[in-house]
Amino acid sequence: MPGKFSCSSFPSPILLGRLLVRLSLFSVLWCVLAGLDGRSWIIGLPAVSAATFCSLLFAPQQPCPVSFLGVLRFIPFFVNLSFWGGCDVMRRALSPAMPINPGLVRYQVSLPEVPQQVLLVNCISLLPGTISADFTDQCITIHTIDRDMPVWSTVHLLERRVAALFGIRVAGGRP
Amino acid sequence: MSGLYSLAALCLLLAVLAGLVRILRGPTEADSMLAAQLFGTCGVAILLLLSKGLDWVVLQDIALVFALLAALAAVAFALRTWGGTER
Amino acid sequence: MAFLHGLGMVCILLGIPFFVSGTIGLLRFPDIYTRLHALTKADNVGLGFVVLGLALQAEEWNTVARLLLIWLLVLIASSASCHLVARAALRRKIQPWTRP
Repeated sequence: MPGKFSCSSFPSPILLGRLLVRLSLFSVLWCVLAGLDGRSWIIGLPAVSAATFCSLLFAPQQPCPVSFLGVLRFIPFFVNLSFWGGCDVMRRALSPAMPINPGLVRYQVSLPEVPQQVLLVNCISLLPGTISADFTDQCITIHTIDRDMPVWSTVHLLERRVAALFGIRVAGGRP
Repeated sequence: MSGLYSLAALCLLLAVLAGLVRILRGPTEADSMLAAQLFGTCGVAILLLLSKGLDWVVLQDIALVFALLAALAAVAFALRTWGGTER
Repeated sequence: MAFLHGLGMVCILLGIPFFVSGTIGLLRFPDIYTRLHALTKADNVGLGFVVLGLALQAEEWNTVARLLLIWLLVLIASSASCHLVARAALRRKIQPWTRP
């Protein structure tokens, strides 16, 4: 399988590096799925090779560099917020008065790259009180379950954390 | 002890069944799309609990496939069923 | 070991109310957007607790990794499908319900 890549149209050390990174990632994934039984590699080897080939075919670009420390700090932040998101919606669903006051809010994104924006849009749906309803030209339309919640500042905090995950900073912003 | 897993799975199954009422009543097509999400999340939880309770590891792999298919169903819905007029 | 097993059982039982309230929200909330709120957030926290509980009781690292993988996949799947359904509804000009 690797021979196929070395004779592709642009053989470069960068491509080879990406190939090795993805090959090892998919191999670890296979170990998780199939266990450490050596015989599983009869199917695992073709599967891992095909996955690597497809990922290079469909996403040849290097994804944005991720800061390891940023990821470590992002996980507890995200788990905590999404837990409170679940509690918040549970309270609203179970309370007899059903305290909801929904509405739409727009948010201007300042993250520069598409993968970062996609992560932001997906995380918004798990935050307390917000789901992302549309995303066009740097502007996210957010549906909030309660217009009295501080939607803008919550999303801005999330955006700063996403930026830190990718090792960049975003502008201070305006409400 | 393992009866507790099945009991928990049964509770989730009842939650899914109650959710189906909403999906049958509509009123929009998107409400039926919520079924994919309901099965995606609740179904995965039920399968994981049963896999532990019945000691049947294969069910974990089925849960994995459920999660993947739920995502694909939503994408197909957004692009094909409803995306046609706006594109 | 018995302690971890008990803690895991508590986590699993904690997850159930979240699933139930997700379904109640699905039945009670007035429009598609608010129902998406209930389903996406409550069910994911419920699944998080169930996965955490099962992971605490797991005997092999392999099972823990697979459980976390399943949880991550469901998280991505449900937030992406929440966004897609909401966007499709918004582009179909379905007005969000507002408090009168």
